[in-house]
Amino acid sequence: MVSKDSCRNEIRAAIRQLSDRCLYSAAKWAGEQLVGIEQDPSNFTPANTRFQRGSSSIRRRFSTNESISTPLPSVGFSQAATPLPEEDEAIDGDFYLLAKSYFDCREYRRASHVLRDQVSKKSVFLRYYALYLAGEKRKEEEMIELEGPLGKSDAINRELVSLERDLSALRRTGAIDSFGLYLYGVVLKEKGNESLARASLVESVNSYPWNWSAWSELQSLCTSIEVLNSLNLSNHWMKEFFLGNAYQELRMHTESLAKYEYLQGIFSFSNYIQAQTAKAQYSLREFDQVEIMFEELLRNDPYRVEDMDLYSNVLYAKEACAALSYLAHKVFLTDKYRPESCCIIGNYYSLKGQHEKAVMYFRRALKLNKKYLSAWTLMGHEYVEMKNTPAAIDAYRRAVDINPCDYRAWYGLGQAYEMMGMPFYALHYFRKSIFFLPNDSRLWIAMAKCYQTEQLYMLEEAIKCYKRAVNCTDTEGIALNQLAKLHQKLGRNEEAAFYFEKDLERMDAEGLEGPNMFEALVFLATHFKTHKKFEEAEVYCTRLLDYSGPEKEKAKSLLRGIRMAQTGFPSMDLEHFPI
Amino acid sequence: MAGLTRTAGAFAVTPHKISVCILLQIYAPSAQMSLPFPFSSVAQHNRLGLYLLSLTKSCDDIFEPKLEELINQLREVGEEMDAWLTDHLTNRFSALASPDDLLNFFNDMRGILGSLDSGVVQDDQIILDPNSNLGMFVRRCILAFNLLSFEGVCHLFSSIEDYCKEAHSSSAQFDASNNNLESLTQYDQMDMENYAMDKATEEIEFQKSASGIVPFHLHTPESLFKATEGLLHTRKETLRTSKKDTEATPVACASSSTLEDTLVDESLFLRTNLQIQGFLMEQADAIETHGSSSSFSSSSIESFLEQLQNLAPELHRVHFLRYLNKLHSDDYFAALDNLLRYFDYSAGTEGFDLVPPSTGCSMYGRYEIALLCLGMMHFRFGHPNLALEVLTEAVRVSQQLSNDTCLAYTLAAMSNLLSEMGIASTTCVLGSSYSPVTSTASSLSVQQRVYILLKESLRRADSLKLRRLVASNHLAMAKFELMHVQRPLLSFGPKASTHHKTCPVSVCKEIRLGAHLISDFSSESSTMTIDGSLSSAWLKDLQKPWGPPVISQDSGSRKSSTFFQFCDHLVSIPGSVAHLIGASYLLRATSWELFGSAPMARMNTLVYATLFGDSSSSSDAELAYLKLIQHLALYKGYKDAFAALKIAEEKFLTVSKSKILLLKLQLLHERALHCGNLQLAQRICNELGGLASTAMGVDMELKVEASLREARTLLAAKQYSQAANVAHSLFCTCHKFNLQIEKASVLLLLAEIHKKSGNAVLGLPYALASISFCQSFNLDLLKASATLTLAELWLGLGSDHAKRALDLLHGAFPMILGHGGLELRARAYISEANCYLSDPSFSDSDTVLDSLRQASDELQALEYHELAAEASYLMAMVYDKLGQLDEREEAASLFKMHIIALENPQDVEQNMA
Repeated sequence: MVSKDSCRNEIRAAIRQLSDRCLYSAAKWAGEQLVGIEQDPSNFTPANTRFQRGSSSIRRRFSTNESISTPLPSVGFSQAATPLPEEDEAIDGDFYLLAKSYFDCREYRRASHVLRDQVSKKSVFLRYYALYLAGEKRKEEEMIELEGPLGKSDAINRELVSLERDLSALRRTGAIDSFGLYLYGVVLKEKGNESLARASLVESVNSYPWNWSAWSELQSLCTSIEVLNSLNLSNHWMKEFFLGNAYQELRMHTESLAKYEYLQGIFSFSNYIQAQTAKAQYSLREFDQVEIMFEELLRNDPYRVEDMDLYSNVLYAKEACAALSYLAHKVFLTDKYRPESCCIIGNYYSLKGQHEKAVMYFRRALKLNKKYLSAWTLMGHEYVEMKNTPAAIDAYRRAVDINPCDYRAWYGLGQAYEMMGMPFYALHYFRKSIFFLPNDSRLWIAMAKCYQTEQLYMLEEAIKCYKRAVNCTDTEGIALNQLAKLHQKLGRNEEAAFYFEKDLERMDAEGLEGPNMFEALVFLATHFKTHKKFEEAEVYCTRLLDYSGPEKEKAKSLLRGIRMAQTGFPSMDLEHFPI
Repeated sequence: MAGLTRTAGAFAVTPHKISVCILLQIYAPSAQMSLPFPFSSVAQHNRLGLYLLSLTKSCDDIFEPKLEELINQLREVGEEMDAWLTDHLTNRFSALASPDDLLNFFNDMRGILGSLDSGVVQDDQIILDPNSNLGMFVRRCILAFNLLSFEGVCHLFSSIEDYCKEAHSSSAQFDASNNNLESLTQYDQMDMENYAMDKATEEIEFQKSASGIVPFHLHTPESLFKATEGLLHTRKETLRTSKKDTEATPVACASSSTLEDTLVDESLFLRTNLQIQGFLMEQADAIETHGSSSSFSSSSIESFLEQLQNLAPELHRVHFLRYLNKLHSDDYFAALDNLLRYFDYSAGTEGFDLVPPSTGCSMYGRYEIALLCLGMMHFRFGHPNLALEVLTEAVRVSQQLSNDTCLAYTLAAMSNLLSEMGIASTTCVLGSSYSPVTSTASSLSVQQRVYILLKESLRRADSLKLRRLVASNHLAMAKFELMHVQRPLLSFGPKASTHHKTCPVSVCKEIRLGAHLISDFSSESSTMTIDGSLSSAWLKDLQKPWGPPVISQDSGSRKSSTFFQFCDHLVSIPGSVAHLIGASYLLRATSWELFGSAPMARMNTLVYATLFGDSSSSSDAELAYLKLIQHLALYKGYKDAFAALKIAEEKFLTVSKSKILLLKLQLLHERALHCGNLQLAQRICNELGGLASTAMGVDMELKVEASLREARTLLAAKQYSQAANVAHSLFCTCHKFNLQIEKASVLLLLAEIHKKSGNAVLGLPYALASISFCQSFNLDLLKASATLTLAELWLGLGSDHAKRALDLLHGAFPMILGHGGLELRARAYISEANCYLSDPSFSDSDTVLDSLRQASDELQALEYHELAAEASYLMAMVYDKLGQLDEREEAASLFKMHIIALENPQDVEQNMA
């Protein structure tokens, strides 16, 4: 276990370095983790914390010098590999200061121009970074200017070429620092050279692990577990964060949860970890737990918008209208032009059954972020509700093309085609969705239903699917019932009885009642009666007697038959051989 | 002339258009401008005018020439004043230093247009009529420019910079890479010529040898780069809103309806939609024509499409093209993926001409077409059961949505599937699926079902006036009638009709009905060409007279025919129609082959190969070559056949599922059998069997062929019982899969086996059965050869039956001598001689000798040593009888030679090598 102190000191230094380089989102992330660490009880005085968080730059520099030069006292695997952050220049150049203020005012090109002749590493990085952002900004503008009816045009970041050239030259001469490597990785990634980008990013995080932006870029390049495992990362506690996130994206939720649990030991108050844990739990469909976590998260951080769309999904699933509307109102006031906010409002309208309005908000979310995966999928659901299947298919397909592993969208596609009476065509999509989530009974049941349709009527295949569903712990209990019925239909009474019994057990365990139960009881009673297992038959009949309705009458007549059969065999014979 | 009226609205200013405007300024300088009049003669002036006219007409093409190409063309046109023209052009461009200059430029352009009302015109001024072609062009350019927003002007300005920069950079290295440049233009030229319909095969080959690469435009990275560069010049366009004649441009309408909602005014856009659609159509044709004739081109098309997709993600047709491309390169998963993606995005409403646009895109989309395509894809990849399921679903959905057009196509596809795939009559075809069409006929055999499906499809297609479908259904019907005995549908038992015969007349009728399509199309006033391809046709014509000298050399013969070529484009037959008509010729050839007329079959194949060889799909063309080579082998011997095979191999071997390899194996096997090299024959047999897919019911033809040849090899090795076993099981397979024609030849083989094994009595019934099969299917040539076998069998029963055998032989002689191949003729001669010789009282030795000589000559060409030895032996006997000792010795030595060759096949092989 890494000591909290060392972490704290490392992060403090990192935040300063990151914000010196204008890597604001990484600095923000680091800051969140910093306050996520349990406060040092010895330092726990208001004055001290204030001192820690905002002192003059010179003091800060001295304090970090100390913290870094002192050997880190912690033990454990992460210790050995922790690299020492490079030292910044003692005094920032004037040009650097000017450039940084330009940068902060979002005048990127101006900032990079000011730094054109600077040689210090920090200035060089800032120059390239500002250039990159200037190119990005122009790209966004061009995208809108050039957008045609057939979608996006050839808008590209025009600085990429020169950036790549310069950065690779720097790298060759070895004059590149870890931030430069990060930028180089980003540029390479945009140019489509993924493997080189990975290499560069790995180098960057190995020499300077506190740059979360670099880790996230690296994560986005890890599209499979093989790629992830092939990375040569040195040990550091930041790696654990990375792995947790990467596992989550690769749908290895339990592994990811384990990582976060470990990290929670140090960063026990980190909102980030809590949100990530909630995400993983959500994928494992532990809705109640997730709701509690999000409630707590909102208490601590009431103006948080990130990840709140997930919370709204949970509320949607639990059909908590009021809570959802409260959440929607809150995020709306906080920042209405965030894709997450639009998505939450869309969810709210969807729950209210106002699908047109929901679609409008999902559309807005997509306008803000074209690659917003869940909005596409959710919009597909809305279109399905509105019976506009072509539009639904289009939306789902876009989701799938953004992320081919999105099993919800594949499932939605299958559903849409099934709705249109094309079950055979739909099967392919169901198969796809099952491929990505083989342990979900709902998917297996959907596929089985497809096989069961009157058009296909491939019952054997349906039975196979239901069996898989049962193996995946089908919570709704559809599979057992269907299996029993299908076997009954195919005349395999033994199998049918087996599954009816199992279904009955399940219903008993969950304390459920309903038509399924009557059906099971009636079948089992008659089945055992015909096989002359009167004791079992009687048990089921007496259970039926507890209920009113036609089943009771049926049970009575069955019982009568059983008594007759038990007491006077001749009467049975009489039935069989009419005189 | 849809190409001229269509362009309204779909117009964007590009650097190339500005070049044309500059040239126009030279052509018709305005009064205010102080340009010197550079033309030395009126003819020169007119020449420039003509050139400009063609430039303006071709401005809708998807590829715009680069500045340097334009300059090259100017060099050709301008003759002695080219330097001046080029200088002026480049100077004008370099004078454009800021967006304001562009504004001024277009203001000046206004001046060259004569105004309609102002009567003040100077005498020497050349006025552009604003309503003339050139005037319209100028006006449209001005209008398009005026509609540009400032951002648009800026983008235009920067693309002009690129346009000039490229020209500069390339002209700097022009001398160094002169060759390279020339070959580049050559590729362009080739690309275009690929689409010209009247192109002769030799020419392609000539060009191929000239450039050393398959003439396909997209295969060089450089030209690919150019193509995409062309696309990069994004311009604004407003989609025309006028609904046009729907019949003529179904694609356009289908796409405009899907695009209209996403269309933003003042939007900037790659090219006009129509251009891209037309271009993609051309590419689709190209993919089909070339198949995967070179894997290189397929991957380059793929990367090109990928780029296009990046540029225009809403252009869904790209996915379909990717599907086609993958289909032809046999990549099942990618093909499936792209097909599904295409239909998910477009809902089947974009770019399908089988959707009548008048019915519009219904709320529900047109997913039944997706099913149809998916079914055909599974069919192509050899998954008959999957295909059947999907097509059944397609039938159901199209019935549900009352899409009769799709239903007709689906039924046709289904019948095609059922007839092509060997589906065992014993298995329940549509077992799990419920099909309204076929359920009524559940008790019928597969053949009857095919017939019903075809009839149904034909009826629907007829009532919906789907000409192409009608034609292809007629062809399918002809095929069906050719192969199947017509039986009344629901008649069983003793009362069933006993008329068991195919009807050549109806086959002929169906083929003719199918080929009527072409007259239908020429009588139709609307051209079926896609607009995009028409506009690029202009440019092709443009390039011809002024093309670089390299090309005018090799296409010298056609230099004068530019005009006709252009006319061709206007009345051009759509590719699909040409395919169908070509297919009808191939079918004719096949039917004559079966009926047994070699010359007719050969003639039809030749017609196909010359007229349709280039426009057709590569697999069809391959089939035609195959037939011709087979003909050569049968009638001219192996030497010629192998020489021809070599040519065909170069052309087709890379085609997926190439049949050339099969043919090669067949020929090799045949020769090995004749030479007596049985080991080789056996090996080839095994290889042949390995070519077939292991799935049940797939590749039936190939499987039958393989076991037939195996039996023949065993027969040649004198392992009679094994050969008979193989043949028997083959007969069972044929029966199971209803392969009637093959049955006849298997029966003949069985007769042959018994004949060779000396059991003539056992062979007789087989021969007779074969003859009766041949009779009912009108297989005249096969019947003649069965008759020959029968005669041999009779002869084998003893000399008492020689007379009967001779009668049989003489009856079959006209057919055999008129149409039979070398081997058959030789065999007939020999058995005739045998018949004569078995009669001791026979004395007319000249007749015998004559036929024997004929036989041995023909066998020489075939290298058929066994029979040749027999002929020589007989000759020697006759000579001996006549007492001509010298001749006898000669024949005997021939005999010896053949026997030695037969015993040592390896030596012969080595000699051959």
